[in-house]
Amino acid sequence: MGPRWKGKGSELKALANPISNSISDLQSSLIESNSQGILSGSTVLLATNPQQTDLLNQTCFGRPVITVDKPNQWFQFSLEEAFYLYHSLKCIKIVDGNHNIKTVNELWDYMVSKRASFPDFFKAYSHLRVKNWVVRSGCQYGVDFVAYRHHPSLVHSEYGVLVFSDGNGNRNGNDRLRVWSDFQCTLRLCGSVAKTLLILHVNRNGEDVICSSPSCLDGFSVDEQTITRWNPERCREDQAAVN
Amino acid sequence: MEVEDWAASSGGSSDSEATSPDSDNEDHCYAYGDIPKLQFRKDGSKARWNEDLGMAEIVSNKGRMWTTTGIVCGGKIYSFLEDTLFLAEIGALQLLDDDDKCIQLEDIYKKVAEGVGGTSWESFEVYRHLKSLGYIIKRHGVCWSMKRAKTVPASVEGESENGNKDKVSITEITQLFSKMRINEAKPIFDVYPPNSKFRKSSPGKPMFVLCISSGDPPTKKQIKDLEEQCEGIPMKFCYVEHGRVSFFSFNKIDLPVLP
Repeated sequence: MGPRWKGKGSELKALANPISNSISDLQSSLIESNSQGILSGSTVLLATNPQQTDLLNQTCFGRPVITVDKPNQWFQFSLEEAFYLYHSLKCIKIVDGNHNIKTVNELWDYMVSKRASFPDFFKAYSHLRVKNWVVRSGCQYGVDFVAYRHHPSLVHSEYGVLVFSDGNGNRNGNDRLRVWSDFQCTLRLCGSVAKTLLILHVNRNGEDVICSSPSCLDGFSVDEQTITRWNPERCREDQAAVN
Repeated sequence: MEVEDWAASSGGSSDSEATSPDSDNEDHCYAYGDIPKLQFRKDGSKARWNEDLGMAEIVSNKGRMWTTTGIVCGGKIYSFLEDTLFLAEIGALQLLDDDDKCIQLEDIYKKVAEGVGGTSWESFEVYRHLKSLGYIIKRHGVCWSMKRAKTVPASVEGESENGNKDKVSITEITQLFSKMRINEAKPIFDVYPPNSKFRKSSPGKPMFVLCISSGDPPTKKQIKDLEEQCEGIPMKFCYVEHGRVSFFSFNKIDLPVLP
């Protein structure tokens, strides 16, 4: 399944505005304004100026929070998004409710305490982002993430992504797609919104199981695998046309 | 550029790979008398069941199906239990015992249940599903034709001192499918595309090797091991539940780095 662009001109528009450029502009802008996100629960809140608002929308980081506050726009980020901005793009700082700037280890411990699989999820998220894919939450589709080739207004999502933590002692890691009805359910969901199911196998490669700091991420590797349904009736029609 | 609303951004159109399977209308509830009945064919083939081999030896072959069914050994055609049962179900084959008495369908079902022919009910359902669609199917690890004196294929064990080397190997193969441990995954069939010009003497490469697991979906390691066993031929997985057969492909990919 190749990319399905929305309408005429979308593909050209996307080519003219590479995501990497927008991310680079976003990075510069946030550094320049010394932006600080507020850590709250499993979310980081960030006040943004109009330029940053545009860039965040263009690159699909976070969701806008609707408020009366002017001229600030507020955005909320998931832990993966926030940590990506903080640790990979190094363009924001993060404070707690008491205005204390969190250190990288404090943040890491906090995020892992919220979700033990955070390291694997973050590795998968950054694996896609580093390749300049646009990554958003997949919860509406029963998957972990959805991946777009460019902005969702220009292109349909190609992949519904599930993150598997391999080699953690579980059969398939994290008990995902553990039984056949899980398969059928997820594939049916993906199929009905025309996305291919993409499994990101995150292998810790024997790294410290506790994973006490983000440096352990360097030892992780990610394997990509799609699962597709094969339809023998349809295939046979194609075959007959060939014969 | 505005942020597109989530719900609006998912398109309605589907792709051939993404089409959802059978519509829900397919689950008919049959009343007695509505269930379709197949007609017995007037000039069907005849085969004799060989209990030792766990296969049927074709005694009289009618119809073109024998070009794509059964294996040739020493000039004779032998069919596996799934081939035999498939043809018996549609009335194209009469199965006989050693006394030339017709073996009823019920007893053929019992053979499957017992595991004597080396096939399970589930693998038969998969076979039947694909065979009905015209695909050409052979058990994995078996040759389409064997000469009597020929050495057995490398994948099959079973050397015997006497001259029945090839027959012993078939027996070993027939046991391959009847006893799978829980959560074991293995290849069962080599599947070829529908082809009116198919020749057992030069079948070409299979379209794919079909694997099945006896419990839960396969793990990543099981898939990797099976792919290695398939030696470059694409691999598909099937799952059978309550008469419905689903097929899946696991594909290694490498997403491109985008601009």
